[in-house]
Amino acid sequence: MASVKLTDVKKIYDNKVTAVHDFNLEIKDKEFVVFVGPSGCGKSTTLRMIAGLEDISEGTLEIDGEVVNDLQPKDRNIAMVFQNYALYPHMTVYDNIAFSLRLKKMPEDEIYERVTNAAQILGITEYLTRKPRALSGGQRQRVAIGRAMVRNAKVFLMDEPLSNLDAKLRNQMRAEIILLRQKLDTTFIYVTHDQTEAMTLGDRIVIMKDGFIEQVGTPQEVFDTPVNLFVAGFIGSPQMNFLKANLVKEGSGYTVDVLGVKLPLNEDQIAVLTQKGVGSQEIILGVRPEHTSVLFDNQEGAIECTIDVNEMMGSELHLHLSSQNDDKIIVRLPTVDLTKEQRASLAYGNKMYITFPAKVMHLFDPATERSLIDG
Amino acid sequence: MSETSMKRHMGLRASRTLANTLIYILLIAISIIWLIPFFCIVLQSFRVESTWQVGYVAPKVWGLDNYQKLFATDFPRWYMNTFIISVFTALLQTVIVLCMSYTLSRFRFKMRKPLMRFMLILGMFPGMLTMIILYRVLKDLGLTQANAVPGLILVYVASSGMGYYVSKGFFDTIPKSLDEAARVDGATRFQVLRKIILPLSKPIVIYTVLTAFMGPWGDYVFARYISFGASAGMNVAVGLYNWLTPDQINNNYTLFCAGGVLVAIPVTLLFLFLQKYYVEGVTGGAVKG
Amino acid sequence: MAQLSDLEYLKLSKGRRLGYRLGRFFAKIPKSTLQVFQRIWEFLKLCVTTVGREAKDIITTFVHGDWKTKLSYLVMGFGCLARGQILRGLLFLLFEIVFIGYMVLSGGYWLSMMPSLGKVGPTEEYNEIYDAYVHTYNDNSFQILLYSVLTIFFIIAFIYTWRVNIRQNKMAEKILASGKKLKSSKEDLRSMVDESFHKTLLSLPLTGIIIFTVLPIIFMVLVAFTNYDGAHDGYINNLFHWVGLDNFNTMLNWTNASGTQSYAATFGEILSWTLMWAFFATLTNYFLGMFVAMAINKKGIKGKKLWRTILVMTIAIPQFISLLYVSKMFAKDGIVNGALMSLGWITKALPFWEDATWARVSVIIINIWIGIPYLMLMATGILMNIPADLYESARIDGANPWQQYTRITLPYMLFITGPYLLTSFTGNMNNFNVIFFLTGGAPTNPAASSASGSVGYTDLLITWLFKITTGPESKYYLASVVGIMVFVVVALISLIVYNVLPSIKNEEDFQ
Repeated sequence: MASVKLTDVKKIYDNKVTAVHDFNLEIKDKEFVVFVGPSGCGKSTTLRMIAGLEDISEGTLEIDGEVVNDLQPKDRNIAMVFQNYALYPHMTVYDNIAFSLRLKKMPEDEIYERVTNAAQILGITEYLTRKPRALSGGQRQRVAIGRAMVRNAKVFLMDEPLSNLDAKLRNQMRAEIILLRQKLDTTFIYVTHDQTEAMTLGDRIVIMKDGFIEQVGTPQEVFDTPVNLFVAGFIGSPQMNFLKANLVKEGSGYTVDVLGVKLPLNEDQIAVLTQKGVGSQEIILGVRPEHTSVLFDNQEGAIECTIDVNEMMGSELHLHLSSQNDDKIIVRLPTVDLTKEQRASLAYGNKMYITFPAKVMHLFDPATERSLIDG
Repeated sequence: MSETSMKRHMGLRASRTLANTLIYILLIAISIIWLIPFFCIVLQSFRVESTWQVGYVAPKVWGLDNYQKLFATDFPRWYMNTFIISVFTALLQTVIVLCMSYTLSRFRFKMRKPLMRFMLILGMFPGMLTMIILYRVLKDLGLTQANAVPGLILVYVASSGMGYYVSKGFFDTIPKSLDEAARVDGATRFQVLRKIILPLSKPIVIYTVLTAFMGPWGDYVFARYISFGASAGMNVAVGLYNWLTPDQINNNYTLFCAGGVLVAIPVTLLFLFLQKYYVEGVTGGAVKG
Repeated sequence: MAQLSDLEYLKLSKGRRLGYRLGRFFAKIPKSTLQVFQRIWEFLKLCVTTVGREAKDIITTFVHGDWKTKLSYLVMGFGCLARGQILRGLLFLLFEIVFIGYMVLSGGYWLSMMPSLGKVGPTEEYNEIYDAYVHTYNDNSFQILLYSVLTIFFIIAFIYTWRVNIRQNKMAEKILASGKKLKSSKEDLRSMVDESFHKTLLSLPLTGIIIFTVLPIIFMVLVAFTNYDGAHDGYINNLFHWVGLDNFNTMLNWTNASGTQSYAATFGEILSWTLMWAFFATLTNYFLGMFVAMAINKKGIKGKKLWRTILVMTIAIPQFISLLYVSKMFAKDGIVNGALMSLGWITKALPFWEDATWARVSVIIINIWIGIPYLMLMATGILMNIPADLYESARIDGANPWQQYTRITLPYMLFITGPYLLTSFTGNMNNFNVIFFLTGGAPTNPAASSASGSVGYTDLLITWLFKITTGPESKYYLASVVGIMVFVVVALISLIVYNVLPSIKNEEDFQ
């Protein structure tokens, strides 16, 4: 139970490659923070610096107000769950979980108490005498968590703990981690490349790319107001659609000119643009697939598209469309309200009409890739 | 099934049987060729009628004379020397090799790469050359000739750190995250080695002990330099080699065979039991290059 | 040769592709050789800049340091002691005292004698009382050379330690200035099994390597510039002295005044046989070992473990027994000739070891007998790693067993064992055991032996080296020169192969 503070933390490898640039972040006590980003973005390196497994090249790291840069991992009082679980193959599950307690020279009966207690919470009591080899992937995962749990550590680090599990087990374990988090009530730092995990688990999400923090915020914030193209594209599935467009300033108002139609912006957006003094310019327009309005007939402000692929997902349809300029657009369409005729019309090669309501449009500057409105 | 396809089917099977038969013949031939010399040496060690080298294999008179005669020579002394040297070398060399290979596999320090490159270059010098000076230095210390045993152990063990490749390859296959997990769990580096890595390293420890034992057991060059003509300090290789020089061979040929059998027995037995580990070491080392 | 694009390359016929690859291969040799020199140049530059940077740091530390630091330049470890790091301070101080004591008591003497390697040789004087010649032994060239090398090592170690001592002062000042505490002696000791555990682990192996390998090698390289041999042993018979490059001159000079064959010619002969031997020994073992492994591993062959064990057990038997015995089996009056004669196939013994060509072919063939079990093991390990679906897909594509071998097994093996082939080649160049125990170098090469002592047709450089040092004249300086040449040859081959290997691989990625 502790806060973690990183100030200007940098990681430079021997070959002069900088893996993490000026990382600044304050993690509050009992907060659940998720580092997310594509592979090689520096998220794991940052976590490993917090754990003490990598040296910190520059900057300071504080845990509970104490600078721990030069402390060995064993002296930092942290617990960590590894991607490949890192269970000691020659020890039984019980010995695996008890390992850290034995190193602390804790009395055996107290160890017994703690290990069995953790095993009960995780539902692995009946495997305590087995070796890791004899366990399934999910069970190994639980042992790894158990090993971290019994420590009563200040900070709980998790390095892609679910990525070696199959999809079904991953969903199940994800829910269990949320439960566990409520039981343990401690500070969590969780690394993943999967934005769904990040969104569902985190109090706050830190989105990273190439060693830089792109955005920090709650799941809702990063979803609603992505500050740049990368965050907009990374969060949300299927990915946000990006279209070349023009922002046109007409008097005191602004409109977006995309694929031959003019779309209005709402008052809040216009206020921000006016305040920033943005003129007419080329922009990249971002719209999420689930925010695209589907019109079944041609109307004012409707964009004409052709259906390439129609993916039936059960509760919704994923439509892959091509505009007349051959831009690719994906649309998510709930099936529940569709009539039989409408469904039938959504076939390969048919024409479709879509439009974008003002509040779902994200405007990005093509040069800086930053949002013109948010951030 | 049509007739042609039937024929083709039969043809396939017949050709496979033919190929397998040929392979069996080949393997039997290979086995015979590989075993014949050892078969001969055992037979000739039981030959009583002459100590000469002769053009036939089976003894005309069988007996244990050669083995009895061995005990009247310095052979027991050589045997003891070799045994002591091999046991100590095996133990000490294993410790050194494991220290070296574990460090190079697990720690990342500034001098690591230069050190490895340096040792690679050192290995290109013929090791024999260093014996000229080592002999004179050890002689000054009184560790040559009749006292060659401790001197030889020193020579074998001292530079053994350079032979770290195979065991480093093994350590590289143990996931690094095990070390990291243990360190996060509160273990010092030493505890990581003792409680996590060593229990997992049984195969490579056995392989290292085995090869470190076999090296001195059959070494000629270093032993020849250090013992320098003093029979009391020789090992079996130097001693037995001297029995086959042109002026000695006719008195000692069958004695050599008997001695050779006695020398081969312990390592062969050791090998038979530990074969698995040796094979693992060789194949593992090769795959990693 | 100009680089082709992938698509252009694919248009070439099979033969032209091979030609193109060979052309690219040779075209790259000058470039990669250049790269080697570049790397050496860069290394030298790095050395110079490092020394410069260190010197600058030493000066600035002195200028900016407090009095404790300044005094540490003279009294090592003073800063540590004054700041409470007792253990470190004492170790530094002890080292300085030992060093100064050694230099005063003997190091200075050895260094002063190094240029001459001894001034007064052994003398012989008639003593009337004993009515005999009395020998007095004076300077010892061997000891002088050895101890002066040791002294130089010691000086380098001292300079390094002195530098560490200064750096520690600088760091200690910095740590104290930032308000943190220095490590106590107890923490220092504890770090030996934790942060600094690698230093603890390496100390013993590296000490052994430095004393028993590095030092002797430096000594022997120096011997190449002296006339150290049996007649000039430096103490009992005569002193030995520096002779400059004389030994290399003799070695590399093709003409020989006395009309006998020159050392250079002998060296050339032995080197060419050594390379030939290494080439054939490596290739025969490699391919035949792979072949045996494939035969044993073929589907449907029973008793795999038995066949493998038979071969593996032969590795266990010490080579000096098996090789010496086999050597005698093939001798003129040995079992093989005896058996062939009693079968009536031959009337005269075959000259396995008496004829140069017979002997050379025989050692290569018997080496197969020695090497196959080992190669078989290795090949088995690799063959089992080749994914079975590669063969399945090849069979569906219509490949016959031979095609499967040339298109899948062989490229896979070569790819994985590339580095092994190189070490095996250099290992065979220095394969003392096989040659020494089988032939001892025989048959004698009379022309080469006339000037260089006993040299045989099957002698490798390494067995020649052995003969030189153990021969009657004990020409250590010559052995040393040969040893350096062996090193140069091995290093050159390794360097070239290592530099060319990746480029070969890249080219093969086309397939």
